Order: sequence, then structure tokens, then C-alpha cells
Amino acid sequence: MRITVTINGERYEREVEENRTLLHFLREEVGLTGTKEGCGAGECGACTVIFNGRTVNSCMVLAVEADGSTVETIEGEATDGKLSKTQQAFERHNAVQCGFCTGGMLMSVRDLLRRHPKPTVAEIKDGIEGNFCRCTGYEQIIEAVLDASGQPVKKGELKHV
Amino acid sequence: MLHAFHYLAPRTRTELFRLLGEHGPSAKLLAGGTDLLVNIRNGLAAPDYLINVKSVEGFSGILWSDREGLVIRASATINEVLESEKIRSDYPLLAVCARDLASHQVRNRATVIGNVVNASPCSDMAPALLCLDAKAVIASERGEREVPFREFFTGVKKTVLQKDELLERIVVPAHSAKTRGSYHKLKRINGHDLGIVGVALARKGGMVRLGISSAAPTPVFVGDLKESDPADAIVAAAMKAISPISDVRCTKEYREFMVGVFIRRLLMEVE
Repeated sequence: MRITVTINGERYEREVEENRTLLHFLREEVGLTGTKEGCGAGECGACTVIFNGRTVNSCMVLAVEADGSTVETIEGEATDGKLSKTQQAFERHNAVQCGFCTGGMLMSVRDLLRRHPKPTVAEIKDGIEGNFCRCTGYEQIIEAVLDASGQPVKKGELKHV
Repeated sequence: MLHAFHYLAPRTRTELFRLLGEHGPSAKLLAGGTDLLVNIRNGLAAPDYLINVKSVEGFSGILWSDREGLVIRASATINEVLESEKIRSDYPLLAVCARDLASHQVRNRATVIGNVVNASPCSDMAPALLCLDAKAVIASERGEREVPFREFFTGVKKTVLQKDELLERIVVPAHSAKTRGSYHKLKRINGHDLGIVGVALARKGGMVRLGISSAAPTPVFVGDLKESDPADAIVAAAMKAISPISDVRCTKEYREFMVGVFIRRLLMEVE
């Protein structure tokens, strides 16, 4: 089936197999490999993208369902080679270790900050509940989101979640 | 890669029913896809056709009518339940159950109707729908019929739906509005997880009702309880209705114990 999708503001027209997921379409047909496949079953959130304005696990969306839609991926986070405010905060707070979850995590954070520009810690935890990070233990990520949204961060105040 | 299937995206209700009539036995309806696509990936489902219900005109949204009550259409997602002002003010139990279902990403795709047609014993929406007297409006080329949720589930992953039928909308009657209630779900972690056991408790007009998940082959409804009944009697009625199993997540005894604990907590919590 022929589909047209706008990804990070750019229009793509491609012929896709009906049984291809949006995740594999992004990675293999469009070459955007920042979106990762972790579990492939909607548990881990590594494949999170923003699909028509809402976060989804792209492993559970068919590429054919994306015909006519808009998709935002991690590749659209930095602009003109400059890291976004959130990416810079992740760097400052060591919120990235192996980096495998980071692409999906940043998509959930982007969506969270649209809904809650100054999220509380509880709102941050809710916002990233669908994104597993097996390295950081989440503290640094929560601190980075507080910082990215212009809120004070007291080091060591957060407990493991 | 998923196994090969034909993808069909009907635009109208008539076209959908024709496709279901034609391909029903070898087709699966695709709504949120959060169970179906995982099942296909794991080889648990191998349909020849996937029929997308989200492309059908008039299948989206949650509506309210004074005559019918709350109408949840086939493509309405779990997050739409959480965003609905009407549900938050008049049917809070639906929102409490929806909030406990999976993660934000999954709730953006998963549908209320998908959660019940799968007929998993651990369905999070079923306990609320049972407590609120909801009914399933089932449609096919042959016509329409209504089935109360109390008669909808027939076994593990089994419902009254025939191969050519679709659960087109869920109606939660107007008389159930302003029912007070809450849902407690036992999970291994605080984040998103399948329920080990869950209890919804609703109070209205001197009556108490329970909807229990993961404690029998189907979600369980316990009605005919009065607010004046002692907690022991309510727990005893629940014990009679459930038949939990021991499995990888916990034992039968622990499930029974926690159903009792949750009922006692909910009786204090839900005023």
C-alpha cells in the first residue's frame, strides 16, 4: 500500500507492506534509527514516537495506519545541530547512560511538557511511566525534566522510584 | 516481522459489516492494536484479514444523551475516558479504572471496547462497566442486539460475540450517573502492570456492588448488597462468587485474601 506520512515536518511517500509496523517503517524504510525496538510488545517505551500529537508505542502501530498522519521522532528534537533544552538538561544531569531508552524517553518528555509546562515530580513520574530505563534509576531523568522546565533541582532530594 | 495479512480500512458501517460477513472467521478487528498486534507478533493470532474499525465514520468519541446515557463508541481510547469531563464528574469509577490500565502510550491507543472484547479476566474496564449496569450494543449485517455486561463474558477470552458481529458501542445508563466508587488493583510494581487481582466497589442509593478482575475465568459481578450489610457479609458474598487459580503471579489463596482486603479498604474509602 502507498502511504504519505509527515515525519518531523518532512513529507515521505512510500510503498509499504501491510504487515510492517510504524517502528520498522521508520527504521528500515526511512532510515531514522533513533527510535529503538526494546520489547516489541508495548512494555518498555523505547519505540515511543508522537503520532498525530499523542505518544504511542510505534511497535504497536501499523505503517499503513499512519497514512496521512504526522509523526515526531527523536531525530526532530535537536534543531540545526543544536541540542534542545531538554537534551541539554539530560546531558547536564547524567540522565543518559547506555542511551537506548533516551530517544523514546525524550518523546514522552516532549509530550509531557506540552501538557504540563511546569510538571511536578508526580506528573513527571506519570509522564514517563511507559518508558523503562534500566541504567539511571530515573532520579537523574526526573531532575533533568525539572531543570528543563525551569524548576529548581535539589540534588539528592529524590528517592528511588 | 509480523505474518502476512490483508489490511482493510472500511469507511462506512455498511462496508464494515459486509467485510465482517464475508471474512469474519478469518478476520480480526483492529482498534487500538495493543493486544492484537502483540498476539500476532507472538504467533497467538494469525488472521488473514485485519479490519480497521478506526477508519469507520461515526465510530469515534464518547457521547452523552439524556435518553441513552453515556455512549462509548468503538474507537474511543482509554485516554479519551480520562479526558472526558462528563466521565470525571458523573462516572468517576470509569476514570479510576482507566487510570490503572497500562501506560500513557498504551492508553493513547487502547480502546475501551478492545479491553472488554478481549474478555481477559484481568480487564480493568470490565469491573467498572459491571458495577455501572452498562450494556453492550452489538451489531452485524443481521441487525443490532443489546446484551448487559453481566451476560457478556462467557469464559476466558470468550464472549457472546459471533464471528460476524462487532461490539459497536457501550452504553452506560443515565441512572448510573453519580455512582460513587473506586478500584484497587494488586500489581507487582507501582507502574504499569497487569493486575494480579482487582476490586471495584460502587455505592448508590443504599446499594453496594462489586466488580472483580483476575479472580475467575471472567470478570465477576456481585450485586444485591446493601450498605447496611456488615463487611464480613460482603466479603463472604465475594468469596462465593470468585474462583481464582494459582499461577505464575500468585497463589489462589493470596488472591482470595487480597479480594477481602480490598473490599474492606474500599468500604472505608468509598463514602
